[in-house]
Amino acid sequence: MPAAAEPAAPHAEPAPAGAAHELGPRDLARLARRCLSLLAPVRRHLVALGAGFGGLALLFFPIGAFLFDLVWTRALEGAPLSPRAADWLGLPVEALPSPEQRRTILMRAVMIGAAIAVVVTPLVLAIYYYQVWILQRVNQLLRVRLVERLQQLSLRFHASQRIGDSLYRALQDSAMATQLVELLVMIPAAGVARLLFAVAISALFSWQLAAMLLVLAPAMLWLGVRFAPRLRVRFRTAREAQSALTSRVQETLGGIRVLKAYGAEAFELARFEQASLAAFGAAYAARSLFVRFAVAVFWASAFALIAAGAWLALRTARSAPIPGLDAIGLGSLGLGVFTLATYNYAKLRFGDGASSLRQLLRTLGRAQDVAIGLDRVFELLDVEPEVQDAPNARAFEILREGIRFEHVRFAYSADRPVLSDVSFEARAGSVLAVVGATGAGKSTLMSLVLRLADPQAGRITVDGVDLRSLGLASWRGATSIALQENLLFKATIAENIRYAAPAASDDAVREAARIACADEFIGRLPAGYDTMLGERGAKLSTGQRQRISLARALAKQPQLLILDEPTASLDGDTERRVLANLRSWAQGRLVFLVTHRLATVRHATQILVLADGRIADEGTHDELALRAGLYARLLAHDASDVRAAEGGHP
Amino acid sequence: MTGLGSTLRLFARAFAYVAPAKEAFAIKAALMLTASLPMLLLPWPVKLIVDHVIEGIPLGQQPLPHPAFIDALFAPFAGSPGELLFACIAFQVALAVLIGAVGMSATERGSADSQLAGGFDRASRTENEANEGTSFASGLLGLADALFTLRLTQRLNHHYRSAVFARLQRLPLRAFDDESVGDALFRTLYDTPALTQAVYRIALSPLTSGIFGVCVVLAMNVSFGAHPLLWQLGAGLLAIAFCSSLPFAAAMRRRAERARSSGATATATLEEGLHNVLAVQALGAGAKERDRYDRASWDAFASYRRELALGMGAFVAALVPSAALVAVAFFYVGGLVIDGALSRGDFVLLLGYFGLLAFACIDVGGLWLRLQDAASGLERVFALMDLPGEGDGPRGTSVARLQSEIAFEAVAVSLPNGARLLEDVSLTLRPGRVTALIGPAGAGKTTLAYLLPRFLTPSAGRVTWDGADLSGLDLDALRQQIAFVFQETQLFDATVAENLRLAKPSATDAELWRALGLAAADDFVRELPQQLATPLGRAGGALSVGQRQRLSIARALVRDASLLILDEPSSALDPETEQRLVATLREVSKTRAVLVIAHRLSTIRDADEVCVLEGNTIVERGTHADLMASANSAYRRMSSRLGRE
Repeated sequence: MPAAAEPAAPHAEPAPAGAAHELGPRDLARLARRCLSLLAPVRRHLVALGAGFGGLALLFFPIGAFLFDLVWTRALEGAPLSPRAADWLGLPVEALPSPEQRRTILMRAVMIGAAIAVVVTPLVLAIYYYQVWILQRVNQLLRVRLVERLQQLSLRFHASQRIGDSLYRALQDSAMATQLVELLVMIPAAGVARLLFAVAISALFSWQLAAMLLVLAPAMLWLGVRFAPRLRVRFRTAREAQSALTSRVQETLGGIRVLKAYGAEAFELARFEQASLAAFGAAYAARSLFVRFAVAVFWASAFALIAAGAWLALRTARSAPIPGLDAIGLGSLGLGVFTLATYNYAKLRFGDGASSLRQLLRTLGRAQDVAIGLDRVFELLDVEPEVQDAPNARAFEILREGIRFEHVRFAYSADRPVLSDVSFEARAGSVLAVVGATGAGKSTLMSLVLRLADPQAGRITVDGVDLRSLGLASWRGATSIALQENLLFKATIAENIRYAAPAASDDAVREAARIACADEFIGRLPAGYDTMLGERGAKLSTGQRQRISLARALAKQPQLLILDEPTASLDGDTERRVLANLRSWAQGRLVFLVTHRLATVRHATQILVLADGRIADEGTHDELALRAGLYARLLAHDASDVRAAEGGHP
Repeated sequence: MTGLGSTLRLFARAFAYVAPAKEAFAIKAALMLTASLPMLLLPWPVKLIVDHVIEGIPLGQQPLPHPAFIDALFAPFAGSPGELLFACIAFQVALAVLIGAVGMSATERGSADSQLAGGFDRASRTENEANEGTSFASGLLGLADALFTLRLTQRLNHHYRSAVFARLQRLPLRAFDDESVGDALFRTLYDTPALTQAVYRIALSPLTSGIFGVCVVLAMNVSFGAHPLLWQLGAGLLAIAFCSSLPFAAAMRRRAERARSSGATATATLEEGLHNVLAVQALGAGAKERDRYDRASWDAFASYRRELALGMGAFVAALVPSAALVAVAFFYVGGLVIDGALSRGDFVLLLGYFGLLAFACIDVGGLWLRLQDAASGLERVFALMDLPGEGDGPRGTSVARLQSEIAFEAVAVSLPNGARLLEDVSLTLRPGRVTALIGPAGAGKTTLAYLLPRFLTPSAGRVTWDGADLSGLDLDALRQQIAFVFQETQLFDATVAENLRLAKPSATDAELWRALGLAAADDFVRELPQQLATPLGRAGGALSVGQRQRLSIARALVRDASLLILDEPSSALDPETEQRLVATLREVSKTRAVLVIAHRLSTIRDADEVCVLEGNTIVERGTHADLMASANSAYRRMSSRLGRE
């Protein structure tokens, strides 16, 4: 790990820990605004969707009323057909309709109703499918943005962030974006539209009916407002517990070898069970409250519905007139009075209004969970990458002179500097070795060169230009690193080597493998370069993985190459050959070599000796060996190896 | 594996798993039925209002006589339409409070569930499944049912995922070479709810919906006894619903499997990218990683959509015959009303019963599809459970502290694919002695060490512990006797102390400090903000490799094991730290057998025995001095190369 050289205090960087549990109305509004911005790419689809649903509703209102009238009033009660209706159905107007005509009317109405159901249902389903597609698009966008952000965040962030938490945010919390769209935009829009529609229709039947709906709305809203804050708190706890559980699983599986070796399975299982119970406990607290809320909402709407039904029954018993329907011309179809048809239809439309209210309120409850989920997503999206392009960054092209560190200071946490006042120059065409004890800051120095983090004081210049003013992508494109820990991907060997240089030819891949002394063992594998590696490349030995990781760094043909303990896992023989290959490859490039094995650095152009985050000494091997400094002491130790090799004792 | 037989076997197994909770399921079924049966009365007040309040027919004079219990219930209120209306309202209110379900359509139930918002792919929909069952009603009974179900489902799912997790931990180490962490995570968290869902979908929901549907048909028979065609049509609808999704079942199974596996792939891609974030950033491959995830995630979404479309197809297929039956029913009853054989209230009653029937039909209708989806999840869970685990067999004999020796007797290791990792290795480890392994990469050093904690088993020969074959020993007891330091250090997101205590949960702080001192890790731990209580962050991310290595060594030393194995312990240590380590090894080897794999001479020079591995077998052995003395030894060759650099 290049960055971590010192025991930085964890959470040095603002990792998204649990923010405030409470989301105020203002926060909710802010969330909603951000979500609306997520909708921009699918705006047209949303309009089409709304038009589809709205069109269907408007089309079928009069048809529905007409069918109800045909069945109830004309067929079942035997009232004569209005001339217009008779004309449409192609039936004669009979003053006292015969049972035959009533049967014919019934037959027609039932057939029309069944036909509509058969045609419209697939249409509704198709529109729903379209809606799912739109929502998935939005979710996808957010997920990818999250992953992109995670990959941009500096090492200081990743040192303290748990993978499981990021996983949970990207997989589960981000799904809430679609829900937010659905719950905050679509259902409310559709719900309010349905409610207003129902209010309008109810008002056509009688103002009292409309008033009932309008009174019901604030009553239910009051319920929502009462429950919402408690729901939010519990939903957040539930999500955090679930996220912790995800982390638990991910980490256990990642560290399975140690657990097995120490027989700590029971211990880990106990920790898992604890996390699992905590997750379910939190889920129970949240969901049981939600159920109670849903039942309360249900009761409110049910009572209103019963009341409306009773009131309508009284009106119908008196055959009261319906001036509203008369006014819009439906009177000519015979819909101007309360009959069984209008009674049933009014009840249906009122019920629709009540159910849309109920749905709105349930949505309000669920939206609390969604808001919490999204808040967690945005927490992560809002962590500004520490390392980013300056506004007028220019692309890096070619390394001419070299790199210079000027009084660079860096710390993971303020009180413990890892590097202080580091100044040196590395010229193009040279091999610069950095040696020093464990924890001296070698790897951190290299992460600054790669700009995985920026210094807190001082500056790093490339050909005299501040590194921070160069485009990040262009700089990373020209640099490469072979890491001390060999992180490979679940892909073939060739794909792993090509990872940083997708355009590399087969020959280039082989050449890189040859320099890294990996071609021999790859050649011996049955599938050669097409051998599939398990996740994390687990099938190879550490030394083999190190060589592939080295080949990966070389395949990119970087102008600046960092080798962080490139040979730590290689045996002496392989190490010697790899180093010899590297020396000839390095002509004309700038190579940083980080190591504590002095045998490796002897031929470096320049050697930096790092101690406690400062440059203790600097020079060539011969110069340094003559001084009685740290290098000489290290050298003396190494020499004992040599003497041991010759058979003597130190 | 989509045959009926194998599917049935899957479910039989799922049932065996939930068998211990069968009383709870019986209570749950009883609750559901208790809550659903009063629903059969729901259409009645509406009918009474139409016939006897609106139309003003005196109670008892309607064309079709009421069932006796209805008359008995409402006769006291027969005085005036107003009284009757009041009674009906009271009755409706009582039903609403008790069971809910007033004025709802079949598609929008008022049931008291806590279905929260899910996403539109497998992973994000399973959180509901892990917590929820199916319930029918709302109101007080619905509330009781929902809360009971929540507890029951959670308890069971907790039990299953713990079992899956335990099994995962028990898999032999080599299983993790192929299984990705993301996939295992998906199985543990997102596939396990399939177990409870299978029970709800196979047993409870069809049972209760089925019973309810039959009850509706019976109620129709009671209400319209003179017109048997009506209940027959109802029964027909129920039958259509029951069979409608059957032809789609096989296709559903394939799509469900695909949805789950693509969900797992998306999870794994994400996990891998995050785990390797350093490599990704350092190599400038952020965009590539994003695109990789973009593809995997959209694939997961698309496969979910295909599952959805199939469900819609099945629904539409059932729609045409159902609509025809309903049309016939309405026409028939309408005809009877026109003839005066039935009242218009009866028409309302019939509408009410068909509404209830639609309730049951929709639930029963998706049966086969939901079944296949659950089966695909079960298959993934059981596939994992069925992998042979370590220590599956009878418990071996317990292991005491090493007295005399551990012996490798002509041991060979080969993989199922024929690759030979080790051949004819004989070696003895004794308490008080340091044995070193040296050799080129790939010579089999780590393989040899893996035999000791039985991460691997010999394919020929045997390894003995004080004369007893390792394979006959109790695995946990054996590992209790061994402390292993891996080449790549693995620390957990926990405090320093917790990481150390993994090796010995009962260790005191003093013991921890002592181990830290031996591993040359006490200095930097002392400088940490909270010392032993400092959380390490993800995988010890805030520490350098060398520091992590020293913590791993300290962890091994906390355990007072008979055998200490160190795989390349000094690769990330600078010479001064390494020297301390060598001294430590000397010290701790007084009471332990020590096996050290290294390629640095300074680490192994003082070993009591050095074994040189080459070509998967031991080619030379002796002390450093012996080996250097022999003029043409492989050891001398290796050493001098190292030295000359």
